[in-house]
Amino acid sequence: MALLAKSKPAVVSTAGAARAADRSALFDDRFLRTLEHLHMVSRKVFAGNLRAERRTRKVGSGIEFADHRTYARGDDFRYIDWNLYGRLDRLLLRLFEEEEDLHIYILIDCSDSMAIGTPPKMHYAMKVGAALSYVGLANLDRVAIVPFASKMLGRMPPARGKNRIFRVFDFLRTVDIGGQTDVADAMKMFVGQHKRRGLAVLISDFYDPRGFEEGINTLRYNKFEPFVLQVYDQKEAAPNLHGDLALVDCETGELREVTVSKALLDAYTREHEKYCKELEDFCTARAVPFFRTHTGIPFDELVLRIFRSGGFLR
Amino acid sequence: MTWLAPLAGRTVGLAALAAAALVIIAYLLKMRRRRFEVPFSNLWKRVLEQRDANSLWKQLRRLLSLLLALAMAGLIIAAIQAPTLGVTDRRARNVVVLVDSSASMRAVDGDPARPTLTRFARAQERTAALIDALGGGDQAMIMRVDAQATPVSRFASDKPMLRKALDELVPSDTGADLPRALSAAADALRGRANPLIVVVSDGAYPELDRNQVSWAAPADAPPPAAGADPDDATASFATAQLAAVDLAGIDVRYLGVGTRADNVGIVAFNVRRYIANKAAFEVFIEVENFGPEPARRQLALKDGDTAIELLPIELAPGERKRLIYRQLPGGASQLSAELRAVDGPGGSDPFPLDDQAWALLPARKKQHVLLVTNDNLYLEGAMLVYDNIEVYKATPAEYDAAPAATVTNTATGKPYDVVVFDDVTPAVIPPPPINVMWFHPDGAASPFAIRGVLPRPRITDTADTHPVMKWVTMSDVNFDAANVFAVDASKGEVALVRSVRDAIAVARRDAGRKLIGFGWSLAGTDLMLRVAFPLLLVNSLDWFAGDDSDLVTTYPTGTRLRIPLDGLAGLTEVTVVDPLGHRGQAPVVDGAVTLVTHQIGIHQIIAYPPGTPPDAADATPLASFEVATNLSSPAESRIAPAVDLVLSGRTLEAPPTFAVSARRDLWLYLVLAVIGLLCIEWITYHRRITV
Repeated sequence: MALLAKSKPAVVSTAGAARAADRSALFDDRFLRTLEHLHMVSRKVFAGNLRAERRTRKVGSGIEFADHRTYARGDDFRYIDWNLYGRLDRLLLRLFEEEEDLHIYILIDCSDSMAIGTPPKMHYAMKVGAALSYVGLANLDRVAIVPFASKMLGRMPPARGKNRIFRVFDFLRTVDIGGQTDVADAMKMFVGQHKRRGLAVLISDFYDPRGFEEGINTLRYNKFEPFVLQVYDQKEAAPNLHGDLALVDCETGELREVTVSKALLDAYTREHEKYCKELEDFCTARAVPFFRTHTGIPFDELVLRIFRSGGFLR
Repeated sequence: MTWLAPLAGRTVGLAALAAAALVIIAYLLKMRRRRFEVPFSNLWKRVLEQRDANSLWKQLRRLLSLLLALAMAGLIIAAIQAPTLGVTDRRARNVVVLVDSSASMRAVDGDPARPTLTRFARAQERTAALIDALGGGDQAMIMRVDAQATPVSRFASDKPMLRKALDELVPSDTGADLPRALSAAADALRGRANPLIVVVSDGAYPELDRNQVSWAAPADAPPPAAGADPDDATASFATAQLAAVDLAGIDVRYLGVGTRADNVGIVAFNVRRYIANKAAFEVFIEVENFGPEPARRQLALKDGDTAIELLPIELAPGERKRLIYRQLPGGASQLSAELRAVDGPGGSDPFPLDDQAWALLPARKKQHVLLVTNDNLYLEGAMLVYDNIEVYKATPAEYDAAPAATVTNTATGKPYDVVVFDDVTPAVIPPPPINVMWFHPDGAASPFAIRGVLPRPRITDTADTHPVMKWVTMSDVNFDAANVFAVDASKGEVALVRSVRDAIAVARRDAGRKLIGFGWSLAGTDLMLRVAFPLLLVNSLDWFAGDDSDLVTTYPTGTRLRIPLDGLAGLTEVTVVDPLGHRGQAPVVDGAVTLVTHQIGIHQIIAYPPGTPPDAADATPLASFEVATNLSSPAESRIAPAVDLVLSGRTLEAPPTFAVSARRDLWLYLVLAVIGLLCIEWITYHRRITV
């Protein structure tokens, strides 16, 4: 029987990949309104407890006007917009584009394993990436989108200003997807091509046969600030399987015959949880922000959670 | 262990190979897994690595699953061969139970304590007890014995099945053919171990039947002596060896029933009309006392429902009394005789079947005959000699003027029974049911096809078996000419008189009536001067009336009857309605109905047109007549039961006590084992034990 099974060609993702490839309805008007809402919420967060974190940002050293913000004690008087003070009777500071502005790299795993799930994890990751990009763009950070699998699959050059969000959408809709996950190689390629350091938001399921450690460490060792976001599907964590099965790895095509019993399912669930915990412990031990979510949680809820926990908005 | 249905080794091997191949294919098919796509098989790998430590046990469990399936296939193949335990028991017997179902078993003396119990019911009880006493290894067959020997079951040890076959037996009204039954039983037992025949009967068999048995194998009997008369010796040797029933090596036992021997029965009953006076008849009755004591009865003779004779009779032991009643008047066609019981000793007996007998009188009626002739003194004169007819006359012109009115008798208002055309062939033939006779039919209007004229024919052949030509001699009759008929056998036409190959007189049935054509003219022959002429007329008129003094209408039961059907062509079978009203079919062979009757009483034989469905009771029959069947068997009326049955000098003993053997059929247990294994396999598979 084993001979019979091995003689057949390995089946790699088909239906899931096709579903993931259809990204036409991913970023609609409703999504845009959600992003605007998130941006507003992020402003509230910024105006609250987290304001101090944003003060480190260099403003005024450039020449290109970027925005206004409320005056705070200690700000340079030279940048107070007195005209506005005359009209509004409020002290507002003029912000100029910083020469050393913040670069945010949204690294989205687009391997075959991300095509699995309902909805596909890749779609969820793209939505989260787009949301974070919007917030970053709106905050005048330079946002770049870098999809990857075993290597970089493309690159959206850094952009700034929230009107660039449509470029993000277009890029995410059209970027090539598929391939095996190899975070380490992809990150090596990424750091090799990006000399400007910044925040590297790594969105992936981290189902990498070579492990996740080397990839994250590559970012760390090259002065990037990794921000790890793990996405999984609930059915991956607790699959509803039973009986004799031939399990096919959607990326490698590796076939593994199992007879799924309840005990085996329980062992698998425990193993999945253990794997995720290993990733979380790894990040926590290295002060790398880490978030884990499944595709059942609405992406805006996740983004808000990210905002509230800090680390992304500074 | 013994295999009751052993298969050849090659067959078993092939079957086992095929079953094993099927099981293995099914096993492989069962192992074919559903493919499922996972994002990260390494997780499964890590889980399975921990479980693969016991992979050997896992393989073994898979092997166990295969072995379970193979074991099931093996058990099924074994079950097919019907293995048994204990059949090697040499005491197990093969038994044929001959249950006497003949007429004498209807005697109501099965048990003195139960006055209404017949011998047959008692025989059923004793046979049932015999079946219940069969051992586990014994096999029995039940055979019904009357005029024939009929197995009603196969060899089986299934007691409920044997009891059911026994309960469905009913006695018949025929004698018992013991030699035939013994021969059939011996044939059935040939080649079987420990053969045993049990005769359950009253033992009332003729001595000839009882001695028609050979206990030694034919080869063991001495051949004819050298000095003996060759013919006699060879004949006796052949009789003894070929006619005897070979019971060599077979144990024959006897279970007797019946207690009383007194019986008075009617052993013969017949009736006939006088030829000269059809209005009267005479009856012959023979009554015999078969008992050891004097007997008294009242003999009742009935004509239809009317008693015409009541006669007390007394019979000494073994006395046979013949009674002839002469010149009895009467019109009913059905006569019956009955022996009635009278009060006092010797006034009754336990066997009622031979106390009744039936006989049928040939139909008789005064026929109205119309002669269509231009005055023929000879014909009219010949008609006058027969007092069973009334003759009327019309001229051909009168007939041609009004055929329908002419054939209606003005005195009675009914059509004439017979119309005779003398040298006239009218265009219109009288309608049925009028019987018609033609002398010299001619031309296109002839009812019989004419293919020529034969001058001066010489009579070379007459149909002596036909009622019209009975006792008629025409060899010296002279004719100046005669028309030759083209006999159409498909219409049932029969040539009555032939001149070499040419038929010059024919007869046939047509639409329920009868037609006769004589090819000669009475004006051109000297037939009228011969004795044959009035005889020919009387025979013809009697045939028209359905009156045949030779017709035998009373037959004994259990014998093969051959009843001729004259004038009915193309029939292959007829419908027979027995005295109980059951309808059946009987074949017609060579123009005669062939049947065996099992019931006393009146049987009705109905001939429907060919092609009529057997169940078409409302179809118009071509002909219908009755026959009476009576027991008429002194052998059966001699009901004295035999305490000991002696066959060819050997007294049969009672059946032995059957040994209860330990034989047990194993197929059921094998099937149960297969079901058990199936359950185990199902449970272990779904509990992930053997997968």
